[in-house]
Amino acid sequence: MARLPFDNDIKTLRFLSDEMTQGDLGDKVGVTRQTIAAIEQGKYSPSLEVAFRIARVFGKPLEEVFRWAGD
Amino acid sequence: MSFREKIHWVAFVGLLAGFGWYFLSYPWETANTRMGMLTSVWMLFPATIIFLVPMIAGSAYFAIRAPKEANLREDEREKLIHLKGTHAAYYPLVLGVWANIFAMINGLIYGWSVNILMATLVLAELVRVGAQLYYYRRGY
Repeated sequence: MARLPFDNDIKTLRFLSDEMTQGDLGDKVGVTRQTIAAIEQGKYSPSLEVAFRIARVFGKPLEEVFRWAGD
Repeated sequence: MSFREKIHWVAFVGLLAGFGWYFLSYPWETANTRMGMLTSVWMLFPATIIFLVPMIAGSAYFAIRAPKEANLREDEREKLIHLKGTHAAYYPLVLGVWANIFAMINGLIYGWSVNILMATLVLAELVRVGAQLYYYRRGY
């Protein structure tokens, strides 16, 4: 499977947010725990809406959560 | 494993069991007669029961074990997985319809027609559910 051209810091941000679980984040964003896990592992590219929702949960701008790593 | 993935596994096994029994037990020597067609219609009842009973029992069991997950709406990743599986199932459907046309032109009718169409549906369902399980396992 082709790797996504961006990384993310969701795992770290969850840890810094009182060790928030993937399930808790999923509930806040409106997706399943499995979807959060897939995003964290770079297996699934979320929609712009979900990406913004994740960033909003952590109170960060989008570019502090997702970082372009491709060419 | 998510609630929907578990239900997909139950559907996959149910399809294999129900229609596996059907195709292995069908009296193929009578397929090209009117009796062969009626036999296949009658055999559909137990095949459907073999498929549906584990589906209903499995859905109820997993919903009781994880009611919160069972009530969750399909999210965007699951919707994409759903669409990709349905897209993959289109190809066996087309092949099956062509196989049926070819069979009818060559005089294979009655039970053959019913069985080719049924095999087409079952194969398409197996491809759809199988593809969705593959994407669930892979992450997307």
